[in-house]
Amino acid sequence: MIHLILKKDLKLFFSNKKSVTLTFLIPIILISLFAFSFGGTKKSNKIKKIELLYIDNDLSTLSKSIINELNEVKELQLTLQNKIEAEKSLKTGKKIGFLEIQNGFQDSINKGSTLPIALKYDSSKPFEYGILTSIVTGKLMNTLAPEIQKIKTKKFLDQSLIQMAQSQKNKIVEEISKSNEDNNTSNKWSLKTVPIIKEQSKKGNLGLIQAVAGTAIMMLLFSISGVGGGLLEEKESGTLKRLMYAPIRPTNIIMGKMAATFLISLLQLSIMFVFSWLVFDLPIFTDIPSLIALTICVAFAVSSFGMFLVAIAKTRQQLQNLSTIIILVMSAIGGSMVPIFIMPSIMQKMAVISLNYWGIQGYYDIFWRGLSFSEIIPKMLILCFIGLIMISISIPLFKKNIKTFTN
Amino acid sequence: MISINNLSKSYGSLKAVDNLNLTINKGEIFGLLGPNGAGKSTTIQILSSLQSFDNGEVFINNKCLKKNYADCKKIIGVVPQEISLYEDLSAYDNLLFWGGINGVSKSELKKRIESILKLIGLSNRKSDLIKTYSGGMKRRINIAAALLHNPQILFMDEPTTGVDPQSRNKIFDIIETLNKQGITIVYTTHYMEEVERLCNTIAIIDSGKIIAEGTKEELQKKCNLTETVLLEVQDISQEKIDQLQQLTNLQITSTAKKIMIECVSHKDLQIILNHCSELDISIKNIEIQKSNLESIFLQLTGKQLRD
Repeated sequence: MIHLILKKDLKLFFSNKKSVTLTFLIPIILISLFAFSFGGTKKSNKIKKIELLYIDNDLSTLSKSIINELNEVKELQLTLQNKIEAEKSLKTGKKIGFLEIQNGFQDSINKGSTLPIALKYDSSKPFEYGILTSIVTGKLMNTLAPEIQKIKTKKFLDQSLIQMAQSQKNKIVEEISKSNEDNNTSNKWSLKTVPIIKEQSKKGNLGLIQAVAGTAIMMLLFSISGVGGGLLEEKESGTLKRLMYAPIRPTNIIMGKMAATFLISLLQLSIMFVFSWLVFDLPIFTDIPSLIALTICVAFAVSSFGMFLVAIAKTRQQLQNLSTIIILVMSAIGGSMVPIFIMPSIMQKMAVISLNYWGIQGYYDIFWRGLSFSEIIPKMLILCFIGLIMISISIPLFKKNIKTFTN
Repeated sequence: MISINNLSKSYGSLKAVDNLNLTINKGEIFGLLGPNGAGKSTTIQILSSLQSFDNGEVFINNKCLKKNYADCKKIIGVVPQEISLYEDLSAYDNLLFWGGINGVSKSELKKRIESILKLIGLSNRKSDLIKTYSGGMKRRINIAAALLHNPQILFMDEPTTGVDPQSRNKIFDIIETLNKQGITIVYTTHYMEEVERLCNTIAIIDSGKIIAEGTKEELQKKCNLTETVLLEVQDISQEKIDQLQQLTNLQITSTAKKIMIECVSHKDLQIILNHCSELDISIKNIEIQKSNLESIFLQLTGKQLRD
């Protein structure tokens, strides 16, 4: 009996062009939009550089050395620009920062006076500005520190050892500088960063993974609540009542519906991932067993959740309103709309109550963190647990509904 | 075949079925006539195990329905009041589904579908989607879906709602054919002409109670109903109408060109015509309005059937 309901529901689903469009085309469009926004296209898989405009009016050894240092930073792209044009670009939001090294920069270091250097920025882009400030400050300190050290040493010698010959003092300063360079302290003392996650040859773009996993799960929830709504349509059209005239148990009806929504969920997720692989180069072949197992768990949890929504709603209109609110809230806190790591800590703690969170984190584990199958199992179990809870609530509710709808 | 004893069902304070007693014999077309909300659909839902009941007992083929509902469901077919079909599936796919759900094997089902489609006259439209069908055609498929498992008893809950007269006649033909094949039919409606045409036995139900039961003739006799003779005349004076009333001793109402006379039997008609001739009343047309179930219902309940 379950297989007859499953077969019939699949036939009905594929005969309805509107449902098919909503289930497959709309998520593809949204994933594409989000993927482009997060810079996840094949061509733009490299890290997007922050463009820094600069002008060097000093043209001293030191100012040139700073520009050279900044040029070596892979996250930056330096462009020489005159002051008026650069400020105009900042005001119009076309560029983020402008480094201005004014005339007398090296002299002011020698004199120990205020440095005539400024980083001007577009305050509407605080995130990029933060990165820019830290890079520029770091490089500035690296370049200027030895010079400042040399000047301070020289000043100390001039004040403390007045009788020492100037040539002798210069020799000492040079020796200290040379010793510092030999020790290469900047390299020794620099913070060494070690990636904990596996360095894979075809690791996914973080933004792309977020776009695909987040959007796919959110859209899956929407489409499944729509597909599950078919049960309410059956209630309204009288076919559910007719089903009850037949020798079939209510549990079999809900299991048949559940099987259909589960298969549609699987198909939708599979299409989303294949599409993301073809268009955005998402590395879906990194760990096929984990991807299949997690996708099955996500599909089970989502289809159970869809049945739960159907069981608590009395009409299609009620289902539509209810599912829109619940899915949007769950997607917002679960990280479908905004990545979890940029959320406040309280939101990050709340995220665990959302089904989306476990699914998205599971996909992060596969595509980004490169975790093994056994390491992803806990997330899969949580998704299955959510699914089982939803189903065990839905079945009695559904049976109760059947008893009342004929009255 | 079906025996209902003291059946009661309430929804809160509303008594939908009130101490109902009925016996439906094998092979008959049993009409359950009553206005909307009389308890017809609730009775059908109870008999087909969709609804539970508060009191009483129901036996189908001498089996207690409460204890053997699964067995009883197998010999029952239900044609619901609504067109309970999947609009986006073809007629064939709908029948394939409903047959399967009722436990018919796939090989047998294909043969059954072909023969039933032939019976309802829709073999040539079997591949078309239900949503492309007319209301009458949908009603016929709605009936077909209840026949696939070869039921012994067919409950038909207002199966002609909203169909045109031509389709209605086609549905009547189908019902009569099914009855000739040996299927016992329980037919609910609020159209008296339907039960008058189809049913051997009629039960009139109102507010959950059976208020009369029997053949149409038995019900007429029970209610002692009259017929109305309607005479269309040339202009007639009040004086002549009064004279006619005195001569016939019958209840007469009139307009300028029509006289309505209530009489008990056809014998009265000859007397009326004789007196009209004596009074020189020129008759253009004669119409005899027979008493029907509507008038029986009106007499029994004081309400119109379609109230």
